[in-house]
Parts: sequence; C-alpha cells; structure tokens
Amino acid sequence: MTAMARTWGRLTLAGKVIFTVLPILAVLTAGLIVVIVLFGGGILDFLATNLWLVRFVVAATAVLLMSVPTAFLIIYMEMKVIALMNLRIGPDRVGPFGSLLSVVHGLKVLMKEDFSPTGVDRIVFTLAPIVVFMSTVMALLVIPFAPGLFGQDFNIGLLYFFAIGGMTVVGLLMAGWSSFNKYSLLGGLRSAAQVISYEIPLTLSVVGLLLLAGTMSLNQISLNQAGWFSDWYVFKQPLGALIFFIAATAEANRTPFDLTEADSEIVAGFATEYSGMRFGFFFFAEYVNVFVISALIVTLFFGGWNAPFPWPWPVALNLDPGSLGIGLLILVAIVPVIGTLILAAPFWLASSRVKGWQALVMGFILFNLVAVTAIFGIAYVGLDWVAGLLWFLGKTYVFVFTFVWMRGTLPRVRIDQLMGFAWKWLLPASLLNLFVTAAAIAIVNPR
Amino acid sequence: MTAPTGTRGRASSDDPRVMLDEQIGVFEPIPPYPPRTEREAEFYTLRDGEMFINIGPQHPSTHGVLRIVLKIDGENVVDLDPVLGYLHRGVEKLCENADYHQAICYLDPLEYVSSLFCEWPAVMAFEKLLDVEVPRRAEYIRVLSSELNRVASHALFMGWMALDLGGLTPILWSFIERDEIVEMLAALTGQRMLFNYFRIGGVNGDLNHEFLSRLGDWMGRATAQIESNTALLNENEIFVRRMRGLGTMDSETALRMCMSGPNLRATGVPFDLRRAHPYSVFPELEFDIPTRTEGDCLARYLVRLDEIKQSLRIIDQCLNEMPDGPVMAKLPRLLRPRPGRAYAGIEGPRGQYAAYVVSDGTDQPFRMRIHDPSYLHLQSVGLLMPGHLIADAMAVMASLDPIMGGVDK
Repeated sequence: MTAMARTWGRLTLAGKVIFTVLPILAVLTAGLIVVIVLFGGGILDFLATNLWLVRFVVAATAVLLMSVPTAFLIIYMEMKVIALMNLRIGPDRVGPFGSLLSVVHGLKVLMKEDFSPTGVDRIVFTLAPIVVFMSTVMALLVIPFAPGLFGQDFNIGLLYFFAIGGMTVVGLLMAGWSSFNKYSLLGGLRSAAQVISYEIPLTLSVVGLLLLAGTMSLNQISLNQAGWFSDWYVFKQPLGALIFFIAATAEANRTPFDLTEADSEIVAGFATEYSGMRFGFFFFAEYVNVFVISALIVTLFFGGWNAPFPWPWPVALNLDPGSLGIGLLILVAIVPVIGTLILAAPFWLASSRVKGWQALVMGFILFNLVAVTAIFGIAYVGLDWVAGLLWFLGKTYVFVFTFVWMRGTLPRVRIDQLMGFAWKWLLPASLLNLFVTAAAIAIVNPR
Repeated sequence: MTAPTGTRGRASSDDPRVMLDEQIGVFEPIPPYPPRTEREAEFYTLRDGEMFINIGPQHPSTHGVLRIVLKIDGENVVDLDPVLGYLHRGVEKLCENADYHQAICYLDPLEYVSSLFCEWPAVMAFEKLLDVEVPRRAEYIRVLSSELNRVASHALFMGWMALDLGGLTPILWSFIERDEIVEMLAALTGQRMLFNYFRIGGVNGDLNHEFLSRLGDWMGRATAQIESNTALLNENEIFVRRMRGLGTMDSETALRMCMSGPNLRATGVPFDLRRAHPYSVFPELEFDIPTRTEGDCLARYLVRLDEIKQSLRIIDQCLNEMPDGPVMAKLPRLLRPRPGRAYAGIEGPRGQYAAYVVSDGTDQPFRMRIHDPSYLHLQSVGLLMPGHLIADAMAVMASLDPIMGGVDK
C-alpha cells in the first residue's frame, strides 16, 4: 500500500489525470461494445426512425470543425491585408506567403500555461471564453451554405440567430466581471451597453425584409432570392441592408466600434487578464463572428447561395458510373495518356532544344489543369451545392474583406457617439424602413 | 508561520508579518500613508460610484512612461493625478559634471524624436558665454537640419495621434516619412536619433553628398506625400468629430499655463520665438506663423500640419541661400568662459526649448537649467481632461504631444 502511495505521489499532475481517466475510458469502451452487441439492431432502428438526431450531431460536429480553419483563414487575411494597407510586408515566414502563421498562433496559444491571476472568480473566469466561443459557433448552425447544405432549417432561424448572438455579450460580461481588473470591468460594461443598444436596430432592420419574405427560415429567404441579382433583397431594402451592416459591425465588436477592446484606452478590455487558450477562444470567437455576420448579411440581403444570374443552359448530367460499364475503365486508363501526349506535342514540336521528357512533364501538368477545370465545371453545372457553396463563400469573403478594410482605415468612435448613433439615428431609421415597407406592401398588395 | 493572535482574537492587520487573506491581490492606488496635503486628501477620497484607474506607466498610449491616476465615474473622468519621474536621469546634474563640449551629448536623449532642438539652446547659451561668432554657413546648416527634424517630429505626432484614436494605418505611414528624414540626417550627422551634431561655434561637419542627394530626392515629393498621408485623417468624419471641440483652451488660460509652440498658436496667439525673439538666421528667412483660434485638439493637429508646410518653405530657402565658408569657429580645445550667466531659447516642434547656464570660470558649467515645453504642457491636463470620457482623455494627451524624456529630464 505504501509502495503504491509512493508511486502515486511521484506522478505529475498529468500522470495522475491520465492514470485516472484511462481505466474509466477502458470500462466505458467495454460497456459500449457490450451495448452495441446486445442492442445494436435496436439502436440502428431508433436512429433510422429519428434521422434528425443523426443530422443534428453531424451538423454540430461539422460546424465546430469548420469554425477553426475559418478563423485561421480570416486571421491570416486580416494580418496580410492590413499589412499591405500599412505598406508593410506582413507575415511571410511560416508556409507559403506566411499562410501558416495563424495555425502556428493557434498552436502557440494551445501550448501556453493555463494561467489565472490572483483574485479572479475562477469558475466564471473559465466559463466566459467557452460561452463566447460556443454561442458564436452555434450561430453557424442555421446558416444555409448551399442548397441542402445547412445544419438545421429552423422556421425561426433568424430569431434563433439573434438569440444566440445575444448570448455573446453574457460571456463578455462574465469575462469583464470575473477578471478582477478595472480595465476588464470597463470593457465588459462597454460591450454590454453596446451590444444591447445595437441589438434593437439590428433586429428592427430585418423586420421589413421579413414582411417581404413572409418567413424567418434563412433557407427559405435564400430560395426567395433566386433568379437575377435584381431579386436580391438589398435592392428592395437598401436602408435596411445599410442599417443591418452598421449594427452588425457593432455587434461583432469590429472597428470602428471596437470599444470593448480599445487598446489605447482600456488596455485590452475584457481580455486583459486572459492568456493561453482562454484568450485563444476569445480570439477565435471574434473571427468566427466576423464570418458569421458576413454570412448572415449575404444570406439576408445578397442572395445567399444564388448566383447573380440564372444559369442559362439547364444541364441534366447522368453520371451513374454503373451504366458506363467497362467503358469507364477504358476512359480512365486511356484518356490521361492520350491527353498528355496531345498536350505535350506542341512543346516537343516547337523547339528542338526541348527534350522529350520536359515536353511530357509540361503536357502532364497542362492535362491536370484541364482535367481539374473540367471536373469543377461539371460539378458546378451538375451539382447545385457546389455552385451554391462557391457563390456563398465568395460573397461572404467579400464582406469579410470589407470588415478587414474598415479595420485598416477607420479610427475608433467614442462611447457617447456610439450610443447616440444607435438611439438617435439607427433606431428611427430602422423604424422608418419598417413603416415604409409595411405601407408599400399594404398599397401594392391589399388584402 | 502561525499568525499571532491579538487581544481581540483575530490577526492584526498592522502586524507586518501577517498577510491577511482578503488583502492578497488587492491593489489599490491609494498610498498606504496618510495624505500629506489637502489636495491629496481630496483626491484619494472616493465618492459614491467613483473608482480609480491607473493609466500607465506601462500602457499602450501614454507616450513613454507617464502614469496618470484617473478618478472615474463610469466612463467620465472626474479628477486625475499625473505621476512623473519614471524616466528621471538627472540630465542637468550630469551636465554640471561634464565640460562644455561633453555636456551637449547628454541633451540629445531628452526629446528623442527631436534631438537637435535639445542641443541647440544649450549650444547657443554656451556661445553667448564665450562670445563666439558662429559662421553663417553653420547657422544655415543648423536651421536646415533642425527644420527637417521638426518635420519628422510632427509627422510622428500625426501617427501617434491617430493611433491613440484607434487608427492603425497612419502611424505606419508617418513612420515612412520620418524614416526618410532620419536616414538623411544620419547621413549628415552619423546617428539616426541622438544626433550630437551641433558644436559650440558651429556644427560637426559640412553638408555631404549623400545628405544632399537624399534631401533633394525627398523635397521633390514631400508635399504631395504628406498631403496624401494626412488625407486619410483630415477627411475622416469619425476623426474630425472626435477632435473638434475637445480639450478647448482659450488663449488667456494657455498663456497662464505657460504653453508655447503649436499648442499656444492653436489658441490664436501668434507667438513664435523665431519671430518674437529672432535668433540664428531666421530674420533673413521668409515663413508664416500658422495659427488657429479654436484651441481644441483639431486645431492643435491642424496647426502642426501647417507648420510642416512652413518648414518645407524654410528648407527650400536654406538650400537656395546656403553661403560658402567654414562650418566651425576657431576655438581653443579647452573652454573656460568668463564667470556669468546666459540664457538662450529656441522654437522647437513642441514649443519653447531653453537653457540657462551659470558659469564660474571653470571648464564645467556651475549650474545648468533645461527648460522643456513638454513638462509645462503636461501640467494643463488637469484643466483639460476632467469632465471628458476616458477615450477623450487619451486624445487630449496625444494632442498636447508630450515626450516623457523631456518631462522627466
């Protein structure tokens, strides 16, 4: 017994945790195997009848997995774009053109000490980044990326989005309050005041759109905007789109409304006392939030996944490999060889100095380019969700770029100007927008 | 250690060996001693809803190591207490222990963005004590190099100002301007920041080819470049709305608070030492004294922009009228000025720089007093900041443009 106690005492904290967790995991795994063997068929039947459960788990996992690379991409984009605007070079060391720098940043915050300073409210301090990150990621769940490519098609999708987005401020307030730091406190209170004020014009600005669309489902709103780009809601609700853009900028705490982390006033705002992965969660949440806000603007006002023009040639591709039979095998075996040789021939014939293998390499590269283009083209034409995803991400990143551009250009507004702008200008303007829309609907479309 | 128990059955907080649990991690800015003055007692008494917040000495926007204890009520600044001395190096005392040549190099780090203006008044005061006639070419070179330094300093001011208001880009754009000037001054003087270029009776070397070619290259595009840099701020609605009407000061108050330089001229007083008490070759040069009457942060910013244009005019004239001749007066190696006292003041990018030297006939100054405008400008933050928001407090401080090296000496 003493020997065991001594051995146990020599373990590090990580060792103690691992030695406790491993047996539990082993027992759980064994139990799971037993359960699957005994009740496997029943579980499968249950899942088959309740497909929504499978769909939800898969969607949640996919959204969580998607959020981190998105944040990496936007962080890199921000570093590089602002560097170019500042006439700097920006990141250029890690990976091609420094593109892996944000990944390395992510690893760095993961490896840092999980530190909490004296005097903090430990539980709230730990929970705050989780609340902020989760509420941001959960908002991704209702965004329709492409036809059929969305987490959940709620009929109250937009309402869910605002509800979840409003939870972010709870996390920020928790961080500000629990940090035992006056800068953090000020930052937390600023974010509470700001987000609550801008929530109102943000919500009111889309009510006009909802009157037009007749639904709160983001999927349905995207479907309503199909056709030419003149069908997009931005042309029917220009004022609403403008108000929504401004209020969303404030909601995401981006420049020029980034008072919660105003580095020249209150050092880093609510995040002053945070370091390591807890700060990392705040950091990721901010950039995922930029993506989410841009995606929502695109979905509501800029046609969602719809292309700005309808595809003029309807194509019905029948790509059932079984129907092609042995012909498919021959196609796969012969076409690359012949294609490479045909594309290599001009290089070989053009100059006597080009060696045969060089011409073949060039031909191979060219064939690959042609093949990739063809496959993407076929996918674009034949598969709705590929075309939709391309258009959706393209439009979304245009707005992400706009946010980055604003950060590089604009100074910060003052807190009283911020609040005054929300209550004196945005709120009346959004009410006016709502009134005009309702009146127009009543006139054009009387019951 | 076990905590000794007092008569009342609990550990006494007066016992230095005891650290009470509830005091761990409580960092109040209130000093542990009883208040020494009435003002201190008033400042450290908190009314309901107020709290102290410590800005600096390590803070992103304090321009060095200034510490300001702000008493805030929500976001409003109620009162403040600037705490100086984090950068005190005893420059005046160091100068008194060096001979007249050596004393000059101690003056450079005073204001590290405009070093030539710190050297100049001391050198002028020494020359007055020694009755030295400075060659005209040396005077022209002094004016030329110092006006370049003024442009660099103002360019940096614009960037800092924008950075304190939350703009990321202007600071890097203005550093481009400043770097070009600093590089050409390095070609002239041999140093990028702490030039140590002026000498008693002249300057430390004639104009050289690299300096002149860099200068000519830059002068061709300076105006356009500076205007394109400032367009980002001057036409920005957010920037102008934050600056206009902020930290307003009338001319009487400004004079009473011993303001000088652009901060004074922004209130409408056209006081410029280059015209009011002409020195060097400024009487021969043509330039205007830009003034504004508003006296707010925007006026302080715009006056500095106008001054850049006037500086470019002066540089142009200096290059045109540069006389031939020596750049140093003939002086003995060891300087022993007559016993007496001398004062010299010049117009720098921040205001009036001056030196007051007392000589006792030895080769070292008996007493040397350095007058720096940043220190006097900083004393008016007590008038300008209360009643504004925290964000505005930073903007006011940035618009006064203090350099802590000069404040703490």
